[in-house]
Amino acid sequence: MGEGGLTQLAAVVASPAPPRTRRSPARGRRRKPILPRVAHFASFGAPGVLVYLCFVLAPILISFGYSLTNYNPFNPPVKFVGLENYRLLFTDEQFLIALKVTTILTVIVVVVPNVLGLGVALLLDRKGWLYNALRSVFFTPVILSSVVVSIVWSRLLDDRGPLNDLLRALGIEHPPGWLSDPDVALYSVASIVCWQMLGFCVVVYLAGLQGVPAELLEAAEIDGAGPLRRFRAVTWPLLAPSLTINTVVLLISAFKTYDYVKVITNGGPGSGATATIAFDVLQTGFDSNHVGYASAMAVLMLVIVAVVTTVVLNFLRRREVDL
Amino acid sequence: MRRSLALGAAALLAMSACSVGSNTGGGNGGDEITFLTFETPNLTPAYWDAAIKRVTDKNPGIKVKKLVAPTADGRTSYAKQLLQSGQFPDVMIAVDSAGFAEAGNLYAWTPEELKDFQFPQANPVKGKYYQLPANTQTIPPVYYNKKMFADAGITATPKTWAELETAAGKLKDKGFTPFTIGGGKDGFPSSMILSGLVSTEVYATMPDWLTQRRQDKVKFADPAFQHAFSKLADLAAKGYVDKTSVSRDYAATEQAFLDGQGAMYPMGNWFAANADTKKHDFEVGVFDFPTEDGKLVVPAYTGGGMIVNAKAAHLDAAKKFALGFQLDKDQLDASVKADGLFPAIKGYTPPADVGPTFKAGYDLYTKAVQQNAVVHAFRWETADDGLLPGMKDKVDQAAQDVITGRKSVADACAFLDTEWAKAG
Amino acid sequence: MTRSWLRPAVALLVGAVFFVPLYLVLTNVFKQGDLIAKDPASLPLPPTLANIHAVLTRPDGLFWVSLANSVVVTVLSILVLTVLSAMLGHYLARSGKRWTKVLTLVLLAGLMIPPQVILIPITDVLRVTHLMATLQGLILFNVGYYVPFGVFVFTGFIRGVPVELEEAALLDGASRMQVFWRVVFPLLRPATASVLIFLGVWIWNDFIDPLIILGPSQGTTITTGIYRSIGQYQADLGSVFALMFLATLPVLIFYLALQKQFVKGLTGGATKG
Repeated sequence: MGEGGLTQLAAVVASPAPPRTRRSPARGRRRKPILPRVAHFASFGAPGVLVYLCFVLAPILISFGYSLTNYNPFNPPVKFVGLENYRLLFTDEQFLIALKVTTILTVIVVVVPNVLGLGVALLLDRKGWLYNALRSVFFTPVILSSVVVSIVWSRLLDDRGPLNDLLRALGIEHPPGWLSDPDVALYSVASIVCWQMLGFCVVVYLAGLQGVPAELLEAAEIDGAGPLRRFRAVTWPLLAPSLTINTVVLLISAFKTYDYVKVITNGGPGSGATATIAFDVLQTGFDSNHVGYASAMAVLMLVIVAVVTTVVLNFLRRREVDL
Repeated sequence: MRRSLALGAAALLAMSACSVGSNTGGGNGGDEITFLTFETPNLTPAYWDAAIKRVTDKNPGIKVKKLVAPTADGRTSYAKQLLQSGQFPDVMIAVDSAGFAEAGNLYAWTPEELKDFQFPQANPVKGKYYQLPANTQTIPPVYYNKKMFADAGITATPKTWAELETAAGKLKDKGFTPFTIGGGKDGFPSSMILSGLVSTEVYATMPDWLTQRRQDKVKFADPAFQHAFSKLADLAAKGYVDKTSVSRDYAATEQAFLDGQGAMYPMGNWFAANADTKKHDFEVGVFDFPTEDGKLVVPAYTGGGMIVNAKAAHLDAAKKFALGFQLDKDQLDASVKADGLFPAIKGYTPPADVGPTFKAGYDLYTKAVQQNAVVHAFRWETADDGLLPGMKDKVDQAAQDVITGRKSVADACAFLDTEWAKAG
Repeated sequence: MTRSWLRPAVALLVGAVFFVPLYLVLTNVFKQGDLIAKDPASLPLPPTLANIHAVLTRPDGLFWVSLANSVVVTVLSILVLTVLSAMLGHYLARSGKRWTKVLTLVLLAGLMIPPQVILIPITDVLRVTHLMATLQGLILFNVGYYVPFGVFVFTGFIRGVPVELEEAALLDGASRMQVFWRVVFPLLRPATASVLIFLGVWIWNDFIDPLIILGPSQGTTITTGIYRSIGQYQADLGSVFALMFLATLPVLIFYLALQKQFVKGLTGGATKG
């Protein structure tokens, strides 16, 4: 959901402003009549803005409102508590664990598919039916539903599933409990997410590679540069926009991780081994009914996402311009 | 192109307006009520459809729209979610009444309406009764693989805890996995042993322990509770409980036992239904959960019945359906065979053609009733005398943490106390 | 070039390892039910269509109901989204005023919002407007949530359409609506394709929103239907795999047919300059 949402963002956000459309001639009327302008907005702009307002902006404000209360639909009456929920959150061990889980997951999901994706893209950067077919193989998981991916992998990683059976056949007597060992489960879930997102990075890098002018590479080769040198000096700088897109998309997807946790481990094994903040918000809100508290968590989550994404995006964009 | 787009959109819009879903209608020739169910390997869609039909055939004025919760163990959470989103069903089966009742969402049954039930005063919430006390389940007896026991040279079923550990040791020496447990997205298979321990130890001396916990007179960190919990840690430490199984969900856990992958399977008596109908190449036996000193203490929970939405559009129809469902003999016979339940209805005896595992479990239960040895089943209570909302999951998680060794018993109990404070 | 077989060999190996989970699903869909648990990795010999048949003929029609719901929700959502975001995007791209720049940024921010932040209040908003548990409610939610993406794809492309074309048409006496739909929109085909494809796949695969917004009384979508059926089907692995396979087939066909557009839309901004 929204994984590719930022693909166009990177292209658009810092793109140069379009040439200003000619203003209405200054002589004669000083500004256009109001009614046609309002009608223009009402027919073109208003519907989209209205839906966005009702279903995104208003709920964010409502969330913020709830976060300042102790709203629990099963335990009226509702009381205004100010910033108490936020204060409690910072001392809540479960929340801090969720924060740690989310951070670890995000780092893995942002780095691994990015790096491996580049490797695979370099490998597949050739013409031919084999490479076309392999591209499809890598991209297919991206369009699968996260529920399907979760179910398939949880069967695979079960202690008596095919992977452990294979490991036992190879002589490893006690293969790890991929999903049952609380120390390993988080990395297993992160790996599953990486598996699904790898194809996305591959395709983006492939497009970037195909945009590298062959003449530059040939010139470098003539100058005596080996393949590694050519990559570092010519290819890598030109891949900067691809890196930006991949990083930002992976970052936002990682933060939203809920489906995988819910279907594979339900936050476990035990308390909080794989519970991300996104997961905790819904569990606290719907299962424990502490809507006020859950809303505070959600608001914090939004702030973290916004800050981290903006910082990372700015850094990468500036890097692109510099290179 | 735009025209065909518009036409297509209009057609789809019209389609969406006539909600594509299960049978709708209602109003034409009957009061329609919504009924929330859940599916398990025992309780298939076919079972529910047949059950509903049995009741509506005898009550033609009622039309039932069947709803299904996404997971069996999460049906109470799901009902909460539905309440919050304004879709609270009219009738729900085996959903906890706690939480809903206090906020005035449920209909309180009158003593007159409860006259056919054996335990009309089960599961009180603030002195009133909201869930029909339809059936009793022993949770957990211990089912076992008779062949493995014979192979390991165990001649008598364990009665004391020491005998249980000895048996487990013999089984392990023979290369068998002593206990079959699970967990995963269902949670409760991890905490079955813990339920048994707390019920037989703590409840034996203080039957209303959880009520006292609600009044803060006792804590999970108290020695009594910790002592019971530590026996589970002991089993895990000795390797009698396989810690890699905690990510395996309920259906897979049951299948593992039926496939002969574990010797003992502590599970609620609903398992008997599948033990009698599913394939397994060994005989299944059952014994009461062993106690410290061998005295008979049998944890059981009576309830599992219908709750009714106080604000149902057709309240009378809803009540009639609920009572009809619980009291109809054919339906009771079907539920005995499908889900291994012991109906707590006055004058009811199970049909003669029940399976051997069910019969064995039922005999154990009647013996316990005669000897007055029945206590509550920890973690399975659903009313004022049980855990606070949201705590069941925490109990399951605490059990998992102790089994995997992630938390010590002391830490797990402290965790439960912290979460209890948050839940209050 | 020496060792010219090395690259294809490595590529094939890496691809094969990566493909293993997909292979497992495919092979077990056509394998007889009880053989699956015993030997999950073997080829399906003899192959059988029994699993697929069982899912398609399930008495409560779970697959068909879910499929219908998914189709209705997805198609309506992306159609409405395309129209709304194209128009809004056009308005924002053509206006040079400061308040529209601010509005654009506000919409941009919407791309980052995790659904969990707004799901709880959304249920309240929908409940008050009697749209809770309706397909219309879910569709409206999808539209609101994905409008930022649509706006950004369209604003990017519209900036490439010369404004002179529109001004000429306006001078000829056409209304703004006519100018947009007759002159501009046909030129936005790549953008429309991107929006339809990406939003189509995301909304089709959406799990959490139908789970919470649609509720049980309207039937399930294909994703929530799969989640619900694993409770009952645990021991019947053949049916689980068959259901997942059938649920993925529409998206897979959609993708394989439109591969080029997928990749083009994805990488529109990936190259420098």
